[in-house]
Amino acid sequence: MQDKSPGLTRRHAGLAAGLLLAAASGAQAQQTLIVAAFPAVDEIVRAAIPAWKRLHPAVEIKVVSRQFSDHHTAMTTALSTSFYLPDVMALEVGYVGRFAQGGGLEDLAKPPYDIAQFRSRWAPYAYQQATNRRGAVVAAPTDIGPGTLLYRTDLLVKAHVSEAELTQSWDSYVATGAKVKAATGAYLMAHARDMKDILIRTGIQPGEGLYFDNQSMVLVNSPRFVRAFELARQVRRGKLDARVGAWSNEWSEGFKRGTIATQMTGAWLAGHMNNWLAPSTKGLWRAAPLPEDTFAAYGGTFFAIPRGAPSERKLLAWEFIQLMTLDRELQLSAFKSQDAFPALLETYDDPFFEQPIEFLGGQSARVGWRAAAKRIAAVSVHKQDAFADEVINTELDKVLDRGKDIGAALADAERLLKQRAFR
Amino acid sequence: MNSDRLAPWAAYSVVGVGALIMLAPFYFMFVFATHSRTEIFSLPPPLFFGDDFFNNLKILTERMPFWRNLGWSLYVALASTALTLLFCSMGGYAFALFDFKFKNAFFGLVLGTMLLPSFMNMIPTFMIMDALGWIDQPKALYIPGAASAFGIFLMRQFVASSIPKDLVEAARMDGCSELGIYARIVLPLLKPALGTLGLITFIASWNNFIGPLIVMRSPEMYTLPLALRSLQSPVNTEWGALMTGSAIATLPLVVLFVLSSRQLISGLTAGAVK
Amino acid sequence: MKLPAALRLSPEWTPYVLLSPFVVLFAVFGIFPLVFSLYLAFQSWEPTSGLGAMEFVGLGNYAFALQDEWFWKSLKNTAWLALASGVPQHLVAIPLAVFIHTSFKKLRNGAVGAYFMPYITSTVAIAILFSSLFSTDYGLINVGISLLSKVPVLGWLMPANPVDWLNEPDNIKPAIAMIVFWRYVGFNVVLYLAALQTIPADIYEAATMDGAGRLQQFFHITLPSLKPMIFFGVTLSVIGGLQLFEEPFILTGGRGGTDQSGMTTAIYLYRMAFDFNDFGAASAMSWLLFILVAALTWVTNRAFAPRKGSA
Repeated sequence: MQDKSPGLTRRHAGLAAGLLLAAASGAQAQQTLIVAAFPAVDEIVRAAIPAWKRLHPAVEIKVVSRQFSDHHTAMTTALSTSFYLPDVMALEVGYVGRFAQGGGLEDLAKPPYDIAQFRSRWAPYAYQQATNRRGAVVAAPTDIGPGTLLYRTDLLVKAHVSEAELTQSWDSYVATGAKVKAATGAYLMAHARDMKDILIRTGIQPGEGLYFDNQSMVLVNSPRFVRAFELARQVRRGKLDARVGAWSNEWSEGFKRGTIATQMTGAWLAGHMNNWLAPSTKGLWRAAPLPEDTFAAYGGTFFAIPRGAPSERKLLAWEFIQLMTLDRELQLSAFKSQDAFPALLETYDDPFFEQPIEFLGGQSARVGWRAAAKRIAAVSVHKQDAFADEVINTELDKVLDRGKDIGAALADAERLLKQRAFR
Repeated sequence: MNSDRLAPWAAYSVVGVGALIMLAPFYFMFVFATHSRTEIFSLPPPLFFGDDFFNNLKILTERMPFWRNLGWSLYVALASTALTLLFCSMGGYAFALFDFKFKNAFFGLVLGTMLLPSFMNMIPTFMIMDALGWIDQPKALYIPGAASAFGIFLMRQFVASSIPKDLVEAARMDGCSELGIYARIVLPLLKPALGTLGLITFIASWNNFIGPLIVMRSPEMYTLPLALRSLQSPVNTEWGALMTGSAIATLPLVVLFVLSSRQLISGLTAGAVK
Repeated sequence: MKLPAALRLSPEWTPYVLLSPFVVLFAVFGIFPLVFSLYLAFQSWEPTSGLGAMEFVGLGNYAFALQDEWFWKSLKNTAWLALASGVPQHLVAIPLAVFIHTSFKKLRNGAVGAYFMPYITSTVAIAILFSSLFSTDYGLINVGISLLSKVPVLGWLMPANPVDWLNEPDNIKPAIAMIVFWRYVGFNVVLYLAALQTIPADIYEAATMDGAGRLQQFFHITLPSLKPMIFFGVTLSVIGGLQLFEEPFILTGGRGGTDQSGMTTAIYLYRMAFDFNDFGAASAMSWLLFILVAALTWVTNRAFAPRKGSA
């Protein structure tokens, strides 16, 4: 109504066209593709509409956007009944795993999609992320979140420590943290949990996921977890973490006031810091690779086609997905406008990557991120991953806050997970 | 009524302090509505009004069809209230003053449904809506709610306590038709309860977001709570606009409450005080 | 508008006619989901695979639920929260209602209105407001506490350091209880106020003439007269408390908080269904919860016996 954005006018046109078509189904004349997404992916999709129209002037795109978790709930509901499925659904990496194990999404590896031919064009781990245990590829990656270490260079300078010391090994990371705390009073990290999160992602063997392996055996009572817990505890004992949760008021305030010295996160956080989290700290942050040559991903978006969607539009849906994920210009423009790091490898030679980022004091951080993107290892997903995540966090809290013994904590976690591993 | 009044200052101060505590969060909602998101998200949060109200309003109307959503919320809430009042008053009257087969069993069943968490109904409700072809239509929101267990419970209690059976008998003997009795005798006496149930139903419909989440597909058809949620994302929430939207969304309820507060008090008495 | 005798509704048929719209809607929108959920409780179902993926597992889901640590943990949380938020509501609402009833004449609607306002707020607004108010370092609640701790007598009761409401498991529950209290105490004030208005004034006058003091009058006249309304209010609180979902959901971001401290059974059900994609177990648990709520409602009913005629 009062809304002046062009997207809405297009949607009205799309709705009208869709209604016209409803009467004459099967006619090639006017069609509408329904794309379900969430902020900010919805903006990226809308921005792609002009390019789509050049390819298919008669096919409208209608974007149905919901709040992030509402969207995934609505997709779960739609998939469960096969009613009112969109033609294309956007999924965040955390949900791809869950949806991939069921049979609700089209296997894009099969004809007529044959996604395997494009495999080499995307960041390898992202492609694998969308591959389920039976080898079906249920989604195409559109953006990724290469992990990086953002740190306050001014605080490191004050403490007379260098970036190399910070990132040489996990032990040196913690040791540097102590120095920074002593010299500046700033915490090394927001929460000791961040330490655990990154460390459990190191040393994963093929055939293993984070918490379960491909046979649903529970992996948490293992050296990988013990080390993660030990280092997290060390951080806590050294009072090196601010004990604030991500996205809380205290967290953003920590950035604004310089009481948090480093954050391990996806590359996209720099954009948020610049836009609204802590714009006043511009120039004080730098990006470094994660310590000890670790490579991990934080976030990422995929596009999938529901199996139950109307079949006459599936090919069009697939074309749309190809446009979003394989078109160099669109991937780059999404990167420039929404900070969506491209999954498409061929964009990586664009000069945009070498451009200095003002917020990071002119550092051309994207160069480092793009190198990292290729080295991230894929991790198998398991249906109970979300549950396992919570159980481990709970046990970690008990270790950190109540001095619970690590062996006992991991044994308890293992017990809880075993009960549900096969559900 | 106590003949020696409570020392007025004691009552005033207790009630007054309590009222301030109750209202404080509202004050902040309106204050936050006038600030930008970086200001809200900072510590300490703003205590007084700022100047970003119109900016927030602009963001609000750009990101979603705000006024349209407001309109839908209003339409659905009014329709929901009207239907609920009609069906529940009819049903409550039937339960209270008539005897029929399976009466108690059925009433028990109705009450029983009040005991199940409503989101468990999400998927079956979705299936029904699709089968009926009601997806993306407002009727999917106001028709099911008209069979409100709470509503019929309240109506039944009220009828049982305020409408004597003899009155109905007398009217019958005077030759009044059954439906006439309902319309001309029962309904007018039910006014306080209708006011109460009306207010509660309106509020519930206005704030409901699970229903629209299930059945609405297009943003133009969203009601307000759902639309406002679409401003939220883990990484990029427009807090200022969100607070502005929430503040505006609260206003009609406040107005409604002010208008019907007297009904509310007498209506909630219901048969509970029998 | 007198219809001919043949078409007129007889008293026998009237209840059926009057009830029919309700029954139709109820059958479709109330009973079908009930039956579906009951059916589902005996199946193993991962929703995103579609309807055809259901597998019969008999009592498997119930067995799982009963030995699931988290299920029992959620029940304990729910019980704690229901009591901690419910009991104060009534303990505070009754005296408040008495105060308003006796001392507020012109300002009565205003006073009641102030208490009722929280009831009409939407959860979105509450989420943002309270996350800000409960913030550890500068949230206004902690600021208020630190101000109060400077007051000589009260200061002893106040904690010395800023309270971490949202992250410490021990604090999440009181935080949630406070929000629920804030939201619903006004509702109960209105109920009790309404009930107080039906107590005839002469009883009090007679008692005063007999020499009874105000406190005695409260305990011997007011409270017993309020009994039916207390029953109504407490029943609603029991049902509502056991099904507590919205307030903990918004305060903990849908997860239940650290150590699942704020995870009520309703939230756990929701998570089982939509986060852990195990609809069969979620349905089984919702029926177990139903049995619990029904049992407690029955107990409440007995506790307030003898029952009134129409209840």
